[in-house]
Amino acid sequence: MSLHRRAVLRGLLGGAAVSIALPLFESLAGRKARASSGGAPKRYVQFFWGNGIQPQRWVPATEGADWALSEQLAPLAAVQGALTLITGTEVKTGNGSAHFSGPAGFLTGQAPLTKPGGDETVGGPSLDQRIAAAVGGDTLFRSLEVGVQPGVRGLSFNGPDSVNPAESDPAALFERLFGPTFRVPGDDAPPDPRLALRRSVLDSVMADARALDRRLGSVDRARLDQHLTAVRDLELRVARLQSVPVRRDACVRPEPPQALDPIDGRPQMAERARVMADLCTMALACDQTRVLSVWYSDPLSDVLYPDASAGHHQLTHDEPGDQPQINAIIQGVMTSLAYFVGALQATREGEASLLDSVALLATTDVSEGRTHQIDEYPILLAGKACGALRSGFHYRSRTKESTSHVALSLLRALDLPAADYGVDAALVDTGLSVLEP
Amino acid sequence: MRHRLLTTLSLCAALTACEERRPTEQFAAPGATPAPEDVEPGPVSMRRLTRVQYQRVVADLFGPAVVVPPLAEPDVAQGGLLSVGAADTTFSPRGVASLEDAAYAVAAQAMADPEARAATVPCRPAGIADAACARTALEALGLRAWRRPLTGEELDRLTGIAAQSAEALGDFFAGFEYAIAALLQSPHFVFRIELGAGAVSERRFDDFALASRLSFFVWNTAPDQALLEAAASGDLSTEAGLRVQAERLLASPRAREGLGNYFSEQLSLYKLDALAKDPTLFEHFDTELGPDAREETLRFLLNTVFDADADFRDVMTSRESFLNPRLASLYAVPAPTLDGFRQVALPASAERAGLLSHASVLNLNAHQTSSSATLRGKFVRTVLLCQPIPPPPVNVDTSIPEPSATARTLRERVKVHLESPACASCHSLLDPIGLGLENYDAVGRWRDRDNDAPIDATGDLDGVRFDGPIELGQAIRDHEAFAPCVVRTLARYATGRVEAPGEHVLLDDLSARFAALDYRLQPLLLEVIMSPMFRNAGAPR
Repeated sequence: MSLHRRAVLRGLLGGAAVSIALPLFESLAGRKARASSGGAPKRYVQFFWGNGIQPQRWVPATEGADWALSEQLAPLAAVQGALTLITGTEVKTGNGSAHFSGPAGFLTGQAPLTKPGGDETVGGPSLDQRIAAAVGGDTLFRSLEVGVQPGVRGLSFNGPDSVNPAESDPAALFERLFGPTFRVPGDDAPPDPRLALRRSVLDSVMADARALDRRLGSVDRARLDQHLTAVRDLELRVARLQSVPVRRDACVRPEPPQALDPIDGRPQMAERARVMADLCTMALACDQTRVLSVWYSDPLSDVLYPDASAGHHQLTHDEPGDQPQINAIIQGVMTSLAYFVGALQATREGEASLLDSVALLATTDVSEGRTHQIDEYPILLAGKACGALRSGFHYRSRTKESTSHVALSLLRALDLPAADYGVDAALVDTGLSVLEP
Repeated sequence: MRHRLLTTLSLCAALTACEERRPTEQFAAPGATPAPEDVEPGPVSMRRLTRVQYQRVVADLFGPAVVVPPLAEPDVAQGGLLSVGAADTTFSPRGVASLEDAAYAVAAQAMADPEARAATVPCRPAGIADAACARTALEALGLRAWRRPLTGEELDRLTGIAAQSAEALGDFFAGFEYAIAALLQSPHFVFRIELGAGAVSERRFDDFALASRLSFFVWNTAPDQALLEAAASGDLSTEAGLRVQAERLLASPRAREGLGNYFSEQLSLYKLDALAKDPTLFEHFDTELGPDAREETLRFLLNTVFDADADFRDVMTSRESFLNPRLASLYAVPAPTLDGFRQVALPASAERAGLLSHASVLNLNAHQTSSSATLRGKFVRTVLLCQPIPPPPVNVDTSIPEPSATARTLRERVKVHLESPACASCHSLLDPIGLGLENYDAVGRWRDRDNDAPIDATGDLDGVRFDGPIELGQAIRDHEAFAPCVVRTLARYATGRVEAPGEHVLLDDLSARFAALDYRLQPLLLEVIMSPMFRNAGAPR
């Protein structure tokens, strides 16, 4: 399958600027590394918000292990010891598309693709999906995409035009994770006989897809292959529901979340973020997934925050002076991030904290929203990936190093034997050495 | 042709992109023009059912007793349309899971409701696993669901699923649910496989593919029994046979739903469900405003096309509209009825005429707390005139000054856009149009003053002076790019793709026909169907 998939995706969109979705060796080697590690599995977590930061309030004055939090990072005080802040790096893939060049360049290593009608998409899979292909195979969900802003879509891509849309309804997320199909780890009741019937239906769907494949052109074959991969993913999930889930000490079924309706047309972002962080923490503790993205808001997000005089994106451009409202919004995002990191830290897995097994990347789409610049790129890390990441310091690049170094370090921390990361000006073959033990 | 494509691409990359651009450039006639029938058709590809299509097709299959759950997979607009995005996107793992959930929810209801069950399984099963009865039912259901006859192998497999499941569960109908679920999750159902076959120069769609294209274009749902029969008989292969069916579909009330979906995609009216404005600033805003505003615009447009059969360009200037009490209050005119919508002729004092004065367009193209000259100008350029505007350059300070004693109105504040060369090249194409609509606030309410300063709504659209929104609407109606833009957008919707460079000839031909038809949209729909762009299959992508 993987060989076929590679061959197909190479032809996509004329082949030119498109990189290959999922190198075969990554997924094989990822499995091997995991099998030998023992103990807690490694997890990859992303936390993303739209519209950037304010560099003058974001970058701390001090560096190294004794760094002091800046004004915008101050809300993270309670978890500072688990954080690594990286400043001064740059996305090297060019900046032709405000709000999209940054995350596309950092998270896929490539500039966005422009299509005949002028629309843009990514050139390859995003970091989280490369990791999911390698480490996601043993859990109920290969990856989970969660939204905080109502209707947020996120930037988790399987490849061009193939986004994994975030679930931003807390009740629907609860239903997926802890609804009727959820079995408390260790529950050895006999499986529902209907699960076997569901699997044979999915077999039939896959047979249809394989028969159809022969009639398609290369672009459609790649699309159908993405579809087929998703169906196979679902079949694996149904198969897992038939077996007894492994016991996990920290795993308990949480209470269903309360409805959080907007107040005066303004979504309750802080409250929504807390509810989602709790569900996500338990999804990891119950080992339902090992790759999880929280999309706090999208690039260009125009959320109307409490007390703000306009939507977020509009404010980044229209709020004059040093933009106190923007500052308050960013501090609010950091407060939500602090809560999430704190929840991961407080969850115990034997002797260790859940956060110890996690590599968490928090980032955004631009440096400063007002100017769309993508140098001084905001990158925050948390967790140690079971000792594969060094943490607890502020590293400031003096040479505008590529964000690709950070991405490559993350891939390697998750045991993907990637030789390099990125294309063209963004191509690097070394990680960020300060991150590597 | 190639030259034109390259020009478009380089425009998007250049910093001062808009300076060199002539507003009507893309419609300029090329040097040597091939005859329409000689134009090589653009590539074909399979299209995902949109969320709306999924709802409608499943509802058609099982009847009104079945509630179809919404799919979790969002549609994505490309080339300005969800229907074009459907040819590029696929289903994510989460989307596939929601297809499964929906399939079982629908199947269970279809077998629980006596009427739906009798229609789906017309035979009486002779036992728990009556394979002959299951096969008969699946043959008929499969034809409608997959828009083509099933092969023997496919029928065998589905019948096997029904039998196996019925044995396991001890009930024929409980088992049949699994065969329905297999039909509804199949790529043959969730994708429209209209590929064409044959040698490169004469590739054509088979009759069932043509029936599907026709039905989804005109009705936004799958073919009915009569259209499937026409396909089976080979009628659609002939021009006359296709025309008969096209006219039948266009004359059906279902064509209103189909064209309504087109307008919803073209104008992004579907976004009105999630319309957000600050209710503390706008007393006329609540969550019903968006859906009501969409209803007005859809009724108005469909009336123009199907009831009045009028010059479509008049949608920019017409004083007719359809209001309910909420919109009448927003527009400050007497309510025509106590509940529901009614057609009204707006008085001159209402200061409203045509689409640009609709609450739908005004709300969608504004911020949550204020109007936006740039967003409204961009809507006119890109959606109504099909003139692409490059994204703003990066690394420039994009802020505009707050209202102050010296710059109270938006016109005075966005002046900075026109003072900087980097901004002015594009904003000079956008802001002057949007400023012509400044008398309508962010929710579409009329106002004479902004921050207590009088609003100046004069401007210039590509050489035509206007004063206020009504003259602006007239200038757009008479703009040479307006009618060709209607044609281009409709052709993209019908074919599910952005036109290939060589196909501008076909669009020009359709535009000439549109003019000859006095710009009536109903007969234009027929011309689009009979056009080589719609009927001829290109190579698979």
